Amino acid sequence: MRTVLLAAGAALCALALPLHAQQQGVTADTITVGAHGPITGPAAYIGLAGRDGMLLAIKEINTAGGINGRKIAAVFEDDGHSPTRALAAVKKLVEQDKVFVVMSVGGSNATVGAVDYMKEKGVPYYVSIASAPQVTWPHAKNLFRGGTTETARYGELYAEFLATYYKAKRIAIMSGREEYPRNEGDATVDKLKTWFQTAPVARVEFNIGDKDFTPQLVEVQKANPDVVAFFGNPAEAAIAMRQAKELGLKQPFFVGSNMVDPALVAAAKGSSEGVMGFSLIPYLPGSKAPDMTKWEAAWKKEYPNAPAGRPNNFDLLAYGDMYVLAEGMKRAGANLTTDSLVKALEGIQDYRVGSVATPRTFSTKHHIGNLTLVPMVVKDGQWEPVQWTSARESDILKRYN
Amino acid sequence: MTTTLALQLAIAGLSVGSIYALVALAIVIPFKASGVLNFGQGEIVTFGAYAALVLTQLALPYPIVLACVVALGAVGGIAIERVLIRPIVKAPEFTLVIATFAIGLLIKGAISVRFGDSPNTIDGPFGGEPIVAAGLRFNPTSLWIFGCTLLVTFAVIAFFRHTRLGKAMRAVSVSPEAAKLMGIRVDRVYRWSWAISTAIGALAGLLVAPLIGINPEIGQLILRGLLGAVIGGFTSIPGAVVGGLAVGLIETFSGVLIGSAFKNLVPFVLLMLLLVFRPYGLFGAADVQRV
Amino acid sequence: MSEPRRPLGTAIGAVAVVALALVASTLGSYPVYLLSLAMINVIAAIGLNLLTGNSGQISLCHSSFMAIGAYGSTLLTAKLGMPFWTAIPAGALLAAAMGAALGAPASRLRGIYLALATLGFLQIVQILIEEFADLTGGVRGLSVPKASLAGARLSDYARFLIVLGCCALAIWTARNLLASRVGRELDAVRLSAPASQALGVSLQRVRLTAFALSAAYAGVAGGLQAIVVGFIDPVEFGVSSALRQITFIVVGGMGSVAGSVIGAGVLSALPEALRPVKEYSDIIYTAILLLFLIFLPHGLVTLWQRGVRGRDAALPARSGAPS
Repeated sequence: MRTVLLAAGAALCALALPLHAQQQGVTADTITVGAHGPITGPAAYIGLAGRDGMLLAIKEINTAGGINGRKIAAVFEDDGHSPTRALAAVKKLVEQDKVFVVMSVGGSNATVGAVDYMKEKGVPYYVSIASAPQVTWPHAKNLFRGGTTETARYGELYAEFLATYYKAKRIAIMSGREEYPRNEGDATVDKLKTWFQTAPVARVEFNIGDKDFTPQLVEVQKANPDVVAFFGNPAEAAIAMRQAKELGLKQPFFVGSNMVDPALVAAAKGSSEGVMGFSLIPYLPGSKAPDMTKWEAAWKKEYPNAPAGRPNNFDLLAYGDMYVLAEGMKRAGANLTTDSLVKALEGIQDYRVGSVATPRTFSTKHHIGNLTLVPMVVKDGQWEPVQWTSARESDILKRYN
Repeated sequence: MTTTLALQLAIAGLSVGSIYALVALAIVIPFKASGVLNFGQGEIVTFGAYAALVLTQLALPYPIVLACVVALGAVGGIAIERVLIRPIVKAPEFTLVIATFAIGLLIKGAISVRFGDSPNTIDGPFGGEPIVAAGLRFNPTSLWIFGCTLLVTFAVIAFFRHTRLGKAMRAVSVSPEAAKLMGIRVDRVYRWSWAISTAIGALAGLLVAPLIGINPEIGQLILRGLLGAVIGGFTSIPGAVVGGLAVGLIETFSGVLIGSAFKNLVPFVLLMLLLVFRPYGLFGAADVQRV
Repeated sequence: MSEPRRPLGTAIGAVAVVALALVASTLGSYPVYLLSLAMINVIAAIGLNLLTGNSGQISLCHSSFMAIGAYGSTLLTAKLGMPFWTAIPAGALLAAAMGAALGAPASRLRGIYLALATLGFLQIVQILIEEFADLTGGVRGLSVPKASLAGARLSDYARFLIVLGCCALAIWTARNLLASRVGRELDAVRLSAPASQALGVSLQRVRLTAFALSAAYAGVAGGLQAIVVGFIDPVEFGVSSALRQITFIVVGGMGSVAGSVIGAGVLSALPEALRPVKEYSDIIYTAILLLFLIFLPHGLVTLWQRGVRGRDAALPARSGAPS
């Protein structure tokens, strides 16, 4: 019976298609998905992983039969972590490659360049890794945020954790001068003020790419904090934490979510012991949890020649989010259009492909997929979960009513 | 600023300055000998760091790793000189500048593709526990780097003053024509000046890796090395070392005095001022004439 | 030595412009976008070639003048409401002024010292763009106000026509420049500084003029890039971009406008051709530069010359390379 209905549906679609404008990127047997991320330049570890994770998911989906009888074809463009090139990439994907949906596995820095254009074009834009606020506020029908959560949400969780877990009254903040770290720092400061009436005892900035943090650390040391919150990249965190130890700074470090990654331990070695942060995924690569080892084995089979440090968090995020996107396309049914996809995604509640991903929920009011993060600590060179849950309700969703 | 703070900053400045000094040294040596400025020297340092990474992951002991990195650096330099520099050594300066730039980028690109951009590191040979003395904290790796830099500097000075090859290099730098007439094999001199330079650069990569980590962007520090070479005046060996150390100190202190916003401007403004008013630096002699 | 003015050449050029405009009107918006970017590269390359190919001065900071033009015109439009057709020339003028400011001390430097000075200038411009983030958007970049004429937003094709016009103008002015006394002075200064001085040419003045002129072209290219792309950020105007422009003129041929056009044109098409291997595109690009430096340092234009003008194996402008 199902087969008959499916055949009838397909026949109807085949008849209907020539009668009105065909949905771009969708044919009878193929859905074309476009994506962009940095695969060259200093942020390549994000884009290469994002691409590989996404492609692994696509391969699995296609092998299992595709989506409603259609296979997924992927086109990937490099954005070099630059907003201008991200804009060029999405332009090409939408206008030249005529993709159905664009997925961003790039960083905030680059994605902000493409957001206005995607809003204008109305093509569904699913942002997996970037946390730039513009993606979800002001609300746009065709934009979705997947893996990373809102920057404001980071601020909420970090502030609450610093105040209640560390029980810190004196907090020092070190943040890098780029979109993402600066947003994290600002959001944390904001929530510390509004929720806990605390102001940081020191707020210092550094440049991304700095190799020496002595001046900043000296200032932090002078302020005698209970904990040091660091927002930047793993490479800088590693140097800063090592130099802190050398200067005799004994306070614990708390790092932003993009540093809760095996890369930090690889870069910092012993200095990273005891560092805490929030993770976007339940298990980090290298964890002994059975689901994780299974997933990693499958990944290594697909990518046997990958360099050290892979798979990393971005492989997992993109993998999980591609499945979410695919789920949306599946629920949209045979008549796959922008509208039907948006509607289907908005109906998704607590969906995830497996325990290696965190669940996603969308609604008609907002497209913020992930509001939960997992606190972790570095123990014996490995990130382990910490027992702590947030007791406060998020303020973010209030503005969507 | 308290004395303790100033001294602590000075230690940090000298430690990072030692690396700049080695890079400056590596730049000045082939320049003195053959008039070629290797803009790709930063990537030689990157290469040294990654070579150290690979060798360390093979569980080789540190002294072996050090010897291998130096040897690999030298071999690499000879290869570059033979294959890429020799055909254009008579070309105008523009070609050499851009070519060495391009060689550096190729090395960086190859490293990026092979190793990815994830940060890595290796441990220093003496562990990470700081040595506390006289109220100051010394990072053992920094002391080791400083010591190596001094050793290399004295070795190079001795080389130029007392060995045949060293004296031959000095002769060639004054006049390749006359040197040739004296029976000196000029091409051999060029080759060895490159080998020494890249060996020093690779060594710098090994030394600096525990301090700043291993990633393809390490080569950026060539800008600081160049500034050190300019301060020293491109033709003076001790000048290059002093220049590099000075850059390290300037960088560290300007971070505290100016704040991180504009501290990155200081080296380049200094570079421009020096080039305009004292291009021969504080130690250099008149411009080396190329054939 | 100068090339005699050829009215035939100008006529051919005019026909080519019209033909290109017609062909482009049939293409989709993405190819038109790519063509616009290619022509912007040509304008930038022409400017750099005047400085490096003709007056013989190495410059590693050409992209910084593009940045000054781009940010200048964008801020004038965003903050003062200037329309693009005054903002872009204003930005170019600002770039030219900065070019002269750099040229004043830099023209006294030769060889590696000049290379270092221009490298220093580039870094300083980058840092300033990043530090004054409230004004320039910093590393996050700046959204460019949509170019409009009489209240109507310009389409991709309209902007293409503007770029086409500017490119044609750039080629035409550069050719006339090189054929004029200024052009002869540029070449003279490169070929033999002492001889030029003996003939009463002020080295300082000519070199400084070259800096200002090349910066003006770069400034126009930068302003055009801003309105075509709609977004600017400092990475676009960094060392990679400067090296790319040098590659254009090395591959195309230094010292001639034709070289700039060929080099920029061919290499602008390259990234599209390299899409299947884009992870290696940086390496391939650099390898091409190196190969040309070693094996064909005078650029593709010499192949064309040897082919078409068999008897003149090399024009005078080809000899005496910059330093």
